[in-house]
Amino acid sequence: MLVTETVLHLGPELERAVNRMDFFRLFKSLAGSHGFSYFGLTEILADDQGINLQHVHALHNLPHAWFDDPKQQVIEADDPVFVYLQQSSAPCVIDMNENHSAVLTAGGSRSVAIVPLHAATGKRHGLIMVGEARELEHQALALLALDAALIFQRYFEVILSLDSISGLSDREIQIVRWTSEGKTSAEIAIILGLSEHTVNSYIAAVLRKLHVVNRAQMVASAIRSGLIT
Amino acid sequence: MSSEQSDNQIRILLVDDDPAEHILLKRKLKSAEDSSIDLDYVSDIGSAVDVVKAGGIDMIFLDNRLVPNNDFRETAPQLRGAGFIGPIGIISSDISGRYFEQFRDFGVDFKIGKDEIDGTVINFIIKEYTQDQLSETCSEDYM
Repeated sequence: MLVTETVLHLGPELERAVNRMDFFRLFKSLAGSHGFSYFGLTEILADDQGINLQHVHALHNLPHAWFDDPKQQVIEADDPVFVYLQQSSAPCVIDMNENHSAVLTAGGSRSVAIVPLHAATGKRHGLIMVGEARELEHQALALLALDAALIFQRYFEVILSLDSISGLSDREIQIVRWTSEGKTSAEIAIILGLSEHTVNSYIAAVLRKLHVVNRAQMVASAIRSGLIT
Repeated sequence: MSSEQSDNQIRILLVDDDPAEHILLKRKLKSAEDSSIDLDYVSDIGSAVDVVKAGGIDMIFLDNRLVPNNDFRETAPQLRGAGFIGPIGIISSDISGRYFEQFRDFGVDFKIGKDEIDGTVINFIIKEYTQDQLSETCSEDYM
């Protein structure tokens, strides 16, 4: 049984998670606490697309060298892990000696824990945890799936749900306003004392919320909807 | 930061008053898949500001408590004040303090415990914080 006070992903860090880095840490901690070295989380899209670990909301620490094309980072649609995620909503552990996976077996993995996850919006996601040969007893697998669901729910609340929320935060409005003044991301970063990465993260979130694709559209949409004047 | 830069050498500045952390981080960087990382090291925030002003640093790993300063709330804004707009990550042996919840308000991009850092974490940080988040249609040229 895990002692909650000693496991990072079950302690206060879960409530304090605010960005993708924090969730990377939480899922990595979850995998490590159950003896797995690697994990991958991503949305499960169309039947023929496989598991795309380059998806905008994907998180993983699988070595790039495992993939035929490290820039694509896809586990193909005929892979047993993807096939399982397509067919089941229950967690399981697959023995890779009996199920060949082009990516995971090639990486030397002996077993894969698969946890299908569903966002409140209905979108399907899959969490895989990869490691050496090991068996998870029923109770341990249930605990792993519960912990995964708790972290994923927080990930949904903090990151994924932004795609379907129309309102902008104060910081986002501030950045749209500076963009409307013609400031670049680098200039806004200096003005607000942030990194350019953080400014671009806010802009990317606003683009998704307003369903637009560039800065000019973003500013026009924000003006039209009264978010800025 | 452009995608071109991510294909090239990345220069990280470690700011930590314990020189042993420099050696430890160098070892961990060797275990990362991305070998194109140069690690610079200084032990105090004044020197860090000087290095930042000289230019060329892509990312900073900042120890939370630098003697004689207090915590990142005092030091990170100095780096921003010096015009640094790259990612700043706070590294600490203890990130349980409630004040860590406000790290973004002080210009910090991420926080991580020193014992959590390994090769896969470094790979993730490099990828997450050096790749373009916006598509080409969202570049400033399109304004």
